[in-house]
Amino acid sequence: MHVTEKKFSRFVSSDHPLPWLAPLLAMLVTFTIYPLIYNIWLSFHEYAPFKRRLEFVGWDNWSTLIGDDRFWASMGVTLLYFAVVLTIELILGLALALLLDSEDFGFGFLRGLLTMTLVVPPAITGMMFLLMEDPEFGVITYVLETLGILSSTQPILASPSTALMGVMLADIWQWTPFMVLIFIAGLRSLPQEPYEAAMLDGASGWQIFRRITLPLLSKVIAVAVLIRGIDLFRMFDYVFVMTSGGPGTATYTVSLYAWQQTFSFIKWGYGATISLVTLLVIIFIANLFIYLAKVRW
Amino acid sequence: MPHIEFNKITKDYGAVNVIRDLDLAVEDGHFTVLLGTSGCGKTTLLRMTAGLETITGGELTIGNQRMNEVHPRDRDIAMVFQNYALYPTMSVRENIGFSLEVAKMSKGETAKKVNEAAAVLNLTDFLDRYPRELSGGQRQRVAMGRAMVREASVFLFDEPLSNLDAKLRAHMRLEIRQLHDRLKTTTLYVTHDQIEAMTMADKIVLMKDGKIEQSGSPDDLYDRPATKYVADFIGSPAINFIHGTIEAENGTPVFASVDIRYPLAPDCAAQPGQAVICGLRPSDLEIAVTGDISATVMLAEKTGAEQNLHLKAGEQHLIVVADRAVPAPTGQSVDVRINTDRIHLFDAMTEQRI
Ligand SMILES: Nc1ncnc2c1ncn2[C@@H]1O[C@H](COP(=O)(O)OP(=O)(O)OP(=O)(O)O)[C@@H](O)[C@H]1O
Ligand SMILES: [Mg+2]
Repeated sequence: MHVTEKKFSRFVSSDHPLPWLAPLLAMLVTFTIYPLIYNIWLSFHEYAPFKRRLEFVGWDNWSTLIGDDRFWASMGVTLLYFAVVLTIELILGLALALLLDSEDFGFGFLRGLLTMTLVVPPAITGMMFLLMEDPEFGVITYVLETLGILSSTQPILASPSTALMGVMLADIWQWTPFMVLIFIAGLRSLPQEPYEAAMLDGASGWQIFRRITLPLLSKVIAVAVLIRGIDLFRMFDYVFVMTSGGPGTATYTVSLYAWQQTFSFIKWGYGATISLVTLLVIIFIANLFIYLAKVRW
Repeated sequence: MPHIEFNKITKDYGAVNVIRDLDLAVEDGHFTVLLGTSGCGKTTLLRMTAGLETITGGELTIGNQRMNEVHPRDRDIAMVFQNYALYPTMSVRENIGFSLEVAKMSKGETAKKVNEAAAVLNLTDFLDRYPRELSGGQRQRVAMGRAMVREASVFLFDEPLSNLDAKLRAHMRLEIRQLHDRLKTTTLYVTHDQIEAMTMADKIVLMKDGKIEQSGSPDDLYDRPATKYVADFIGSPAINFIHGTIEAENGTPVFASVDIRYPLAPDCAAQPGQAVICGLRPSDLEIAVTGDISATVMLAEKTGAEQNLHLKAGEQHLIVVADRAVPAPTGQSVDVRINTDRIHLFDAMTEQRI
């Protein structure tokens, strides 16, 4: 049984909202709605290089897309990348946040240190990991070879089986701290009393985490997963810099494929179609997540 | 046999001293009530017992074992928090059953215990609600339920009835006391409601500014208050205080104030010339045809079966509890008789009982 309640706006409200909303609406129309509609329009046209203009092609782009194995392969790569990286960043981020959520001396410094990765431009991070994973002198290659995990004949980024993992490493290094920051902020805002009650009720650390912390933190986790998840779906920088989608198509993500079709092959209409489908997939997954996550407090 | 012992317990928050050198023995199986005004350190003492607050100095033992460093989880204590401390993401059912859940009790048994507690607490209709969907009093009862399903060796209650209406409070007083008579669990119960303390306690510990003012049975505190503060705190309506001095008249001591003169018992320990405060409980005074004090009725407050008469004897304000049948229109002159056995004398300087 849930009781309905009236929610009060946290900000001012007005009897004549239109003048106040106008600037925001103008921005939305200019930068979001118009491009979206233009994109939809574009997906039914294609650039004709010899005539140097766009021509109406009906559903051609859409039917091509459905039969395009390279597109579906890139969608597969993206989904795999999305699922693996999001899971690792979530779990690692939560674990680090729990470890760093302390008032003891030195922890503030550690938390500050962690934010450093967020300052580095992703393209630079890509370059750094490209060097660190270099088969000749890369430090990561060296460590993995020394530990016997990697054979010396297998360059990380040039082998189909490990290339995507090599890219993931850069993403995880750069963005796990982002999760940590959000989670620490969340942990800091949790009420203290339920923890005291749980201790007296005899709950162990793990039980407290599972039954108290995790549910209390669920909203924060949901927000972090959404932000990070959408970002992961658009991932471009790391593959562009580190592998250009190779070897073969092992690391070809959807956004890289859309970029290639649009700007290398000058297939504007097809590029627009790919990005539209990507958008639909993101909307679908995000809503599925919001529905399944059922954050309830 | 004492179950919980506080030995010279001190608590500081930084430079703020809240409790100083407190000694207290809580008897095994007894219902001990901590009574005191707001901010006197009741909650702090309870939280130290539970291990939620570090002890700055002194030693706490439970069952003869030093507890200062023992983790709250390992103290086997159930507590009702003043601020309820419910689990916001759990339903009432889960809140009450959480301790059983973590103890890995079977589903069926858990449900049985939760339902029993809910029935006693009138919470059966709310079992599937979340704490934010409950009123203050309902939340408080959930907090009670959480403790009731526990089989802990010590119960700590921090003002568990403060948010209930008068009727429900009386009902819950009875339930808690019966629960205690059944389980005989050592209980420390905090309240600032003296009626609660008087009706429920085996022993009352009256605190003032982080120290114990007096401890003893409810009758002890009522009949033989050790200080003026205790006399003032216990009893409703509050005790009458009359400032005066002791005079000797024909070898017997007499209490003399500006408006009242009254002979004391010959064995009274007060010295002639001593400045004293005389305490007279409103229920120990009686309206009579011929009495010891003559006064005028200022106001009569009906309280049901009785009435509180506000009287004036000269400049002295007096309250007398009288039967409601006693006619007392405002302005009427009445005579008040004092029950000599029940005079409380306190030294005016030290405010200690004489
Ligand atoms: N964290 C703290 N830091 C500083 N002072 C504190 C802290 N917690 C409590 N105090 C002080 O300690 C004193 C005792 O507080 P406590 O909560 O034990 O009072 P109480 O007797 O339970 O009062 P009430 O009946 O209002 O609940 C108060 O003066 C309070 O201001
Ligand atoms: Mg308190």
